[in-house]
Amino acid sequence: MLVYLTSPWVPAEWVKAHGLEPRGVWFEPEFDLERTALSAGVCAFSESVARFAELHPQAAMVFSTHCDQLRRGYDGLESVRPERRFLFNLPATWQTPVARRLFDSELERLGRFLRGLGGREPVIGELETLLVQSWCQRSRLLSAAPALSARQFAEAAARFHWDGQIRLPGAGADEGGERPGARAVPIALVGGPLPRAQWRLLDALEGAGSRVVLNATEVGERSLGSPPQAGGDEPARLPESGPGLGQICLERMVDVFQRPNTQLYAWLGERIRARQARGIVLWAYIGCDLWRAEAQSLREAFGLPVLVLDADEVANGWTRLTGRIEAFVESLQPDAP
Amino acid sequence: MNSPRKLTLVEWDTRYALLARGGLREPEYGGPLSRHVLAGGDLRLRQLKFDDSAASLRLWNFLLTENERLIAARRRGEKIVGAMKDLGTVPVMAYSLPGVRAFYPDGAWWTPCLMECSDGLLGQAEALGIDASFCPVRAMLAAFQNGEHFPRPDRLLCSTGAVCDDFSAIAQRLERMGFPITWWEMPRRRAPEPGEPASTLPGGWVAPRVQIDGVREELTRLAGILGELAGCPLKEAALAQGIAEANRVRRLLAALRQTVYGPTGAPLPALEMLVAEMLAIHFCSDRDETIAVLSGLLAEAQTRRDQGQSVVAPDAVRIFWVNPVADLRAMNLMEDWGGRLCGSDFMFTHALDLIPEDVRPLEALARTALADPMIGSGRDRAARVVADCRAFGAEAVVISRIPGASHCAREGALIRQRVRAELGLPAVELEIPPICDPLLPTVSSRLQALIETARERRGQARAGGW
Repeated sequence: MLVYLTSPWVPAEWVKAHGLEPRGVWFEPEFDLERTALSAGVCAFSESVARFAELHPQAAMVFSTHCDQLRRGYDGLESVRPERRFLFNLPATWQTPVARRLFDSELERLGRFLRGLGGREPVIGELETLLVQSWCQRSRLLSAAPALSARQFAEAAARFHWDGQIRLPGAGADEGGERPGARAVPIALVGGPLPRAQWRLLDALEGAGSRVVLNATEVGERSLGSPPQAGGDEPARLPESGPGLGQICLERMVDVFQRPNTQLYAWLGERIRARQARGIVLWAYIGCDLWRAEAQSLREAFGLPVLVLDADEVANGWTRLTGRIEAFVESLQPDAP
Repeated sequence: MNSPRKLTLVEWDTRYALLARGGLREPEYGGPLSRHVLAGGDLRLRQLKFDDSAASLRLWNFLLTENERLIAARRRGEKIVGAMKDLGTVPVMAYSLPGVRAFYPDGAWWTPCLMECSDGLLGQAEALGIDASFCPVRAMLAAFQNGEHFPRPDRLLCSTGAVCDDFSAIAQRLERMGFPITWWEMPRRRAPEPGEPASTLPGGWVAPRVQIDGVREELTRLAGILGELAGCPLKEAALAQGIAEANRVRRLLAALRQTVYGPTGAPLPALEMLVAEMLAIHFCSDRDETIAVLSGLLAEAQTRRDQGQSVVAPDAVRIFWVNPVADLRAMNLMEDWGGRLCGSDFMFTHALDLIPEDVRPLEALARTALADPMIGSGRDRAARVVADCRAFGAEAVVISRIPGASHCAREGALIRQRVRAELGLPAVELEIPPICDPLLPTVSSRLQALIETARERRGQARAGGW
């Protein structure tokens, strides 16, 4: 059975360990944001997730509480049977034993839900293997990222969250375009979900003369965890008395909803500086307070110009959106020698 | 005895002079209401209509002097805690300690209304990166920065997790501006699974033990912080006493609600009831005085009820109100158009329900915190609204939308549908910005339509004998 996930922080490995097929909703071809009618203040992503759940009653959907809109979207589900929907409580804090215990208890509860769907009892050794495999795939993708165009990376990352596999474009492949040259303006793309229906944004960014040196949207680099520590060759262990899956998940979480969200800033800062980004594009849905509120803090923290793009404009304002991108990139171009 | 009536600010000055000549005794924060306009810049008072009782005068003076009282407390060397978002739990702990006061900086959301935006807080919040797409609680951000509306708290304790995103985002922005915050986790309340250990919460919802235990542990952490701030640990006995005092406030409010929202006329206006209910969340920075203010209001309400006096027409439509209003004037408008308040869910029903006194104090507070209507399913909240509508005999429901508040985007429709499906009552959503004057035609026409519909339904019920 397919189990759709709506947050990269709900571990797909846990679903797989139960013998079911996790699917990150971001790569789903039928996940359509453009035809969703919205009430005032409702985020298009959360509404599309809710509609998708209602239109696909044969699949199971795992929502998460990491944003108010998604958790309230879950509350509004009417036609999805309770045994096919699950709301995962992701703690916003991460430093306390309480956060770890809440995460662990949610994993247990998710496990019961998955078994209710016909999943099997997970075996620790098997879970460990899945975590190691996943870790290797993540590392492989992170290593390949610098050579990929923005769209190629987004597609590879979304595919990874789709079925756990990495499919990198072959040498000389032209799918998703060429990696922009060194003269292109390096920018960081930061923000919420960027499902496949919106990838043309990436083409627009690179077409305008920028190079996305950091994709820190929801299923971009942030979702892949940190690279292995030097000398560390055992990325995921689940000994009986050691850190549980919950702790591993909490440790790899880097998101705007965390309180405080210092981990996000530390993570961004390291990469923005190392990759010499000259500007930040903040990608936020209408109604997404969590990301919108960060615009000023991002400016202050990194001393870079920030362009806030309304995700909704991909469908209803493309000309304006691309015009703003072009002006932003142009303003960041270094003076000709 | 004269019938009670509502007075304008100017009329209240005359009334105040009369009361003063008659020997009115007031606490030290007392005085004529108009001074809040002249000295405090609370311009909105000029547009409001107030209850004419001395008890209500005391209520308003208490509300409008909170900043002065907090500054005085700071001068006396008391510690000030800024509790954020949980609406009702942390202050119970703070007031259990000597020399500690807690208030909600969140309350600054009413400042733009009271000062008719002359405070400039919303514009300043925008300059700080939080624009009009956020809830008016963003005024808090600017109030922290300019320090003009409340003293800088010694500690900030903010609940996070299953809270409104707009508030959480604003609080995070505040922390980045240099105001350190202690965050504590509030999980999204869920129903226990079959066989899962669980406990009943105040108000009747049931939560799994794993969540209650988690919140209790978080509150234990906060108790340590508060004890450190006070210079003495927060002991169980003191907390139990604090809970008993908080319950005194809650019992007074319950009696007041029962009296005012009862089946006969309305002994007190909706506006004063909104303010009175707000006292439950942090006692307006003075728990003893809150008890005195509420006792006075209750006595006034009971006297009026016993004498058959009402501040609204006998045929006023009984309206249940959901969510607080960003503009206080909306409560006046509802009565102007023929409604009366008969019940409310101003987002903090958990601060009205009694805190259990038969379990250990931190356990009791954890259960209370988890009974917050805003942290569970919108369906839970809607179910309670329906139950309360039944209990108070509501004839119509108003769900006021708070501009930019993340919960309002979806929750209103859910509550409206449930109210209609289960009770058949007319219900409307009304967006009330901090100054609703420009929207007056829309707000008024929607309220009128609701009230007319309810009256028609009442007529049909009488004719049909149901």
